[in-house]
Amino acid sequence: MPMIRLETCLISGNLTSVPETSKERSLPEQRMVEDCKRGNLRAFEGLYDTHSARMKSVALNLLGNTSDAEDAVQEAFLRIYRSIASFRAQSSLSTWAYRILVNACYDLMRKRKRRSETPELDTDRQQEFQASSSDHPLRLTLEKYLAQLDPRSRNVFLLFEVEGFTHREIGEILDIREGTSKSVLFEAKRGLQRLINQASGVKGP
Amino acid sequence: MKFECRDLESILRRQDSEQLEAAAVHAETCPQCRAQLQLWNEISVAAKLLHRSWHSPDLWPRIHQALTAESQEPAKEPAFRRMFAFLGNWQALTAGLALLLILGAGTWTIVSNLGPPAEEEGRLLTEEALSEVEKAEAAYIRSIQRLSKLVEPQVRRASSPILVSYREKLMLIDVAIAACQANIESNRFNAHLRSELLAIYRDKEATLLSVIREGKNVQN
Repeated sequence: MPMIRLETCLISGNLTSVPETSKERSLPEQRMVEDCKRGNLRAFEGLYDTHSARMKSVALNLLGNTSDAEDAVQEAFLRIYRSIASFRAQSSLSTWAYRILVNACYDLMRKRKRRSETPELDTDRQQEFQASSSDHPLRLTLEKYLAQLDPRSRNVFLLFEVEGFTHREIGEILDIREGTSKSVLFEAKRGLQRLINQASGVKGP
Repeated sequence: MKFECRDLESILRRQDSEQLEAAAVHAETCPQCRAQLQLWNEISVAAKLLHRSWHSPDLWPRIHQALTAESQEPAKEPAFRRMFAFLGNWQALTAGLALLLILGAGTWTIVSNLGPPAEEEGRLLTEEALSEVEKAEAAYIRSIQRLSKLVEPQVRRASSPILVSYREKLMLIDVAIAACQANIESNRFNAHLRSELLAIYRDKEATLLSVIREGKNVQN
């Protein structure tokens, strides 16, 4: 049975989904891996074209500003280039790339902490993003709550709920079990649900 | 399946689509479950709006430039030279030699002591003592299984000479365990064999803990 994976793209406030089967991807992906291993920059460009939008979004949600997010994506591609020779296809190329991206984001966060830098607020982008915050009343609460979560819970929530990865893919990206991903997501959402219920004076289960 | 309100939490945890459908049907007549499910789904809808997209026309050119510069770096040394590159570092060399000596001595000790010495062949355990020993062995096995799962990725990747050495040591220990267990099958009450097996299990547990510590050192 082919695995259906949902990719979500935000275009003009509407969500569109593009179902893809892993079988359709596997041959082109194999070719891409081989080309990347040969150092073919067009193959890397293909990887960029396919994944950069999602990678930038993941990085922005982890790092808080577009400049750092773009730096993290650039660093991730450098690391992919350096270590592609050791890629053994135990996971898909894309989940491996996202794992490298998440690590690059955390390395950048640590570097920033060491230098005691505060994240540079990208004011143009902030205005652009804030304009859409009125789209859903829970969005601001969600952003505040996510900032308080531990890294693993935040990563699972972002990858599943925001970016549409499956738990299996999240397992490969974060090197955790699929069941663990589901549990972590459940706890994160339950915590958020309680917070919202408390704020509105509603008694939960 | 008869759905009850208290089932909602476990269904949301498992995210089983059939059971979620049953929950939705139940929620049509249960205000509390309906409110919880609605909020649960609203969180997912709101989360999708956190996906950000923006135009970065100069990002790929920067990446392309960086990759081109990387590709023009001087050619790396052949793989076999990289493997032994650590030999240039005398401290790593000393540590590596010390580890080889320890491994060699440990292997010799394990292998040479597998058979029970003649004078100890007569020592047998009582039923009660055997039961206690088997409980201790089972506890070690559980601990080893838990630790093995934790270190499996590190051992598989073995990203440093020390981790490669640990991997080889673990393989040798497994060989020793298998040999000891084979002997025990025909000598269950032999105290010497049983104490040897416990010693090997202790060694494996300690080695797995060393791998975890080494992994943490590499990360830091």
